[in-house]
Amino acid sequence: MYIYDDFDHTIAKQRVAEFRDQVNRRIKGELTEEQFRPLRLMNGLYLQLHAYMLRIAVPYGTLSAAQMRKLAHIARVYDRGYGHFTTRQNIQYNWIKLEQVPDLMAELATVQLHGNQTSGNCVRNVTADHFSGVIDGEIEDPRIVSEAIRQWSTFHPEFSWLPRKFKIAVTGAEKDRAAVQWHDIGLHIVRDDAGEVGYAVYVGGGMGRIPVLATKVRGFLPKRELLSYLEAILRVYNRYGRRDNIHKARIKILVRDLGPEEFIRQVEEEWEASRHSGVNLPPEEEIRIARYFEPPAYEKIAVPVAAFEDAKKANRAFAQWISTNVHPHKTPGYAIVTISLKPIGGIPGDASAEQMEAVASLAERFSLAEIRVSHIQNLVLPHVRQADLFAVWQELGKIGFANANAGLVTDIIACPGLDYCSLANARSIPVAQRISERFADLDRQHKIGALQIKISGCINACGHHHAGHIGILGVDKAGQEFYQLTLGGAGDETASTGQLIGPGFSSDGIVDAVEKVIDAYLDLRQPNETFISAYRRVGPAPFKEKLYGVSR
Amino acid sequence: MSKADTPKVLTGNLLRNGATVYYTGSGWSAHVAEAQVAATAAEAEELRKIGAAAYAANLVIDVNVVDVQPTAEHRPTHIREVIRATGPTVRPDLNKSMSPG
Ligand code: SF4
Repeated sequence: MYIYDDFDHTIAKQRVAEFRDQVNRRIKGELTEEQFRPLRLMNGLYLQLHAYMLRIAVPYGTLSAAQMRKLAHIARVYDRGYGHFTTRQNIQYNWIKLEQVPDLMAELATVQLHGNQTSGNCVRNVTADHFSGVIDGEIEDPRIVSEAIRQWSTFHPEFSWLPRKFKIAVTGAEKDRAAVQWHDIGLHIVRDDAGEVGYAVYVGGGMGRIPVLATKVRGFLPKRELLSYLEAILRVYNRYGRRDNIHKARIKILVRDLGPEEFIRQVEEEWEASRHSGVNLPPEEEIRIARYFEPPAYEKIAVPVAAFEDAKKANRAFAQWISTNVHPHKTPGYAIVTISLKPIGGIPGDASAEQMEAVASLAERFSLAEIRVSHIQNLVLPHVRQADLFAVWQELGKIGFANANAGLVTDIIACPGLDYCSLANARSIPVAQRISERFADLDRQHKIGALQIKISGCINACGHHHAGHIGILGVDKAGQEFYQLTLGGAGDETASTGQLIGPGFSSDGIVDAVEKVIDAYLDLRQPNETFISAYRRVGPAPFKEKLYGVSR
Repeated sequence: MSKADTPKVLTGNLLRNGATVYYTGSGWSAHVAEAQVAATAAEAEELRKIGAAAYAANLVIDVNVVDVQPTAEHRPTHIREVIRATGPTVRPDLNKSMSPG
């Protein structure tokens, strides 16, 4: 875990004091809502349908058990006993009172947490692979560079008022679990032919109204030059991004309008002029940051671990959970556990204060006090001894988080939608709940195999529907909730944009439609062929036929 | 969305705590059933003025006049406003009713 230095602590405390003063002035009427709104948004405070919503950053998805306990405490004292983990590795609280926010923020600051830059047109919380540092085959832990970017971008004066929000994601393994091609900037850590570590740099990805996969602007950027290169990209964007039209203000539109070649030319030109300006991370600073992410002191464990192997043989449900929710750890005898926040019929990503505390205790007992938040709205225990897996599974069962469904049809991403969100057109969560109930049978889920359903309640696409193998988008059709269905999206290293399959469905019809799509897949798949591979092989026609009766 | 001949109520969120509230004619209530209903365009305009004044007085934010059904409960016509009036449909344990008591 990165530990704040004095500078970090000072600016965090100053921000709390500053916001306390702003809230006081707002409540006294010395600031108008027009004046105050951008200030509260800078601190992650929105107004939603029922109350204020506070979004708290979990930098690159890493939390300590102590931080998780604090999040539970916040849920209990300042909210209605729960929080919602989001697709950006953040947590949101839904029932926040403005007058209590300064105290809440002061409590968060004691454990290095805050809502800074979780809203507004600035560089947002940097996201990273939730298996960072523990998965085999990683070139480098992406959290090291993510932390450097966090420090560089925090309250960056030049980039605090960009044309629009700006999201950066980093992945360090070949398999991309951070959806880097869907971000404003995506960094994929790679090695060049000489074995030197650097980045493949992607720019201009994004979802929303106009989904665009990022353009690879550099196959290899030497590690030491990253910050100056990021600065050059942001400068070009800051100068030429469309501030006149909110729908055209993201960097993806600039890349599209200039054309990738011209965009790259401008970035390189800007970079040449400024790359020696001193913004790059000094090597000693990189070493200092990297020390915080050094692997913990693992025990030497002989494998196979007999107790673990025996438990798998003796208990089918446990073995099923291992097959979906446990990934191999790079250290022999250890494992990575995905805690499913997707109980059947539950609210994707929601956790109660008690559940958060139970996860914190499990992390303390079994995972070196560390937790990760994944963009799939699950939690991860990154350092569990195989010998402890059975106990962890049993404990998770007690809090309803032992579902063996990670990566399966009921591991659904859903944004808050019209149940909470003031921008929504339709509800997302109830659709996720009904699909989850329809496919509750675990054997059926395992038979269907890897499948990602992602649901957004409006075109802002917080539920990543464009990247869903099956994507669902809520729209308002003459005052009624209505749902469009897209197929073939993906967020990994084979990223693709889901395509609209045909006319949409009513709230009643959408679950049947999803089931038909899955039935069509089961009918046509080849041995061991996943949904997305099958879709890519056969295209939309058989699915259209199943859904609408005719092939169009 | 809003039709001229549909009854209307004035709603907003309290500045201090964000709670969803309805204008009752003399103050603000959490329950839409207690709202003062505008039956005519002129009455709706009156509500808008009251809303603008309450906003200017830093009492409520996100002020809107919304359509309701002509029933005692004043159930909003659009689902968004029904959800605002009662709470998230996925957490019935946290919902409030449209009427008090
Ligand atoms: S996708 Fe739309 S409805 Fe869902 S959380 Fe984002 S803004 Fe709200």
